[in-house]
Amino acid sequence: MKYHPRLLILFLGIGGACDNYPKDPETTLEKITNSTLVVGYSANPPWVVPTDSIPTGLEPDLVRDFAKSRNAKIEWKNDTEQNLFEDLEQHKVHLVIAGLTDDSPWKDKVALTRSYVKEGKKKHVLATIQGENAFIVALEEFLHAQEKQMKAPAQP
Amino acid sequence: MKPLNRFEYPDELKPDFEKAKRLEWITVFYLISTSILVYLTMGNSQAMKTAWFEDLLSLTPAVSFLIATRIFMKAPNKEFPYGYHRVVSIAYLCSSVALFSVGGFLLIDSAITLIKQEHATIGTIVIFGHQIWLGYLMIGTLLWSAFPSMILGHKKMPLAQKLNEKNLYTDAQMNKADWMTAVAGIFGVVGIGLGWWWADAVAALIIAGDILHDGFTNLKQAVFDLMDQVPKTVDNQKTDPLIDKIKETFAQHTWIKDFNIRLREEGHIYLGEGFVIPNREENLTRLIEELTKKVVDLDWRLQEFTIMPVKELPEGEKA
Repeated sequence: MKYHPRLLILFLGIGGACDNYPKDPETTLEKITNSTLVVGYSANPPWVVPTDSIPTGLEPDLVRDFAKSRNAKIEWKNDTEQNLFEDLEQHKVHLVIAGLTDDSPWKDKVALTRSYVKEGKKKHVLATIQGENAFIVALEEFLHAQEKQMKAPAQP
Repeated sequence: MKPLNRFEYPDELKPDFEKAKRLEWITVFYLISTSILVYLTMGNSQAMKTAWFEDLLSLTPAVSFLIATRIFMKAPNKEFPYGYHRVVSIAYLCSSVALFSVGGFLLIDSAITLIKQEHATIGTIVIFGHQIWLGYLMIGTLLWSAFPSMILGHKKMPLAQKLNEKNLYTDAQMNKADWMTAVAGIFGVVGIGLGWWWADAVAALIIAGDILHDGFTNLKQAVFDLMDQVPKTVDNQKTDPLIDKIKETFAQHTWIKDFNIRLREEGHIYLGEGFVIPNREENLTRLIEELTKKVVDLDWRLQEFTIMPVKELPEGEKA
């Protein structure tokens, strides 16, 4: 089998030429921008503190800022971690927050972001749909920008 | 017991042998460097994990070659009257198993990705305060695992043929497998960036077939060699033309009424026997010794050849 080097260069060229690169296979980033971000949350204070209406805490605040940066409304969905991860696998939610760390046993089924804050040895992450690379890159860029002023909250 | 003579490569091939050893050392260090790079850039990408596993497996031919070169030249002794040549055939078997496994692994892994529709996630990494897409780093790593492999493999092929080294030849094919997978990987990562989650797996699947074919051909040959099949050439597994040359040498002698030979491969070298029906009895020992020398001088690969006078040849074994 022979590969034509020129074809490769062309291929790389196509990639480099687009400014929206990498892309999402299912256009998640496009879908949520100026629209609705569906976020699943599961109580895990102080990271996620449920209240009567909308959750508070470090992670809900982060998500609110991210949604604002994409000009998106948030649709909150409260459930157990198990159910939320299943929803994430079926693309029913875009994002799951539950004070997750990067050693979550779900890491093969969903995509975990880079950690946005460290608490001792525990690296805290958010969970998103697998393979939606544009969305993940946008989210990680946002998290990276916040990282400097980020501190792990005091345990209650 | 009479042990074989001590084997060394003929003088004109010694530089090639040294060159082959040097190339294999370079290969070992180079493969270790790529596996470290791949490990650092793999993130949670399944494709890169496969590439990493493959890098480790592809060390097998180079390492087995280097181990074998330390053993096969040892002088034969009471315990090993035939010498240590067969270690080369064993190394060849190990290498071909590795090559075959790489192909098989790649095939199964990419098929699973396609069936389960696993979408590869490639996030970002922060290097010196700059955030970049991990895919670009992966492409860089894959380029590093493509071009040097291509060059190494290209340099090994002719040496393998000169030295009658099937293991080295398999290693050259392993290098080919490496650069082809790397190129497939680049297409895959670029494809994933374009939103084609299947690009990676499809590219790997196409390559896997080619690697499996090389692996299977060599695996089959390695097993046949250990089963004392007639010697086959290094590059295309055809019966070695040397056999016909030996037969011609026998046929030139008028004192031989009829004859037959058999030959087997022990690593780089060939061992064999010839059975002759002489048409006279006088000077037979001298004639046989002269013919033996002539045959052994035909090629450096003929390490030992025994000629045996017989009354009649075994049924169905006429030359």
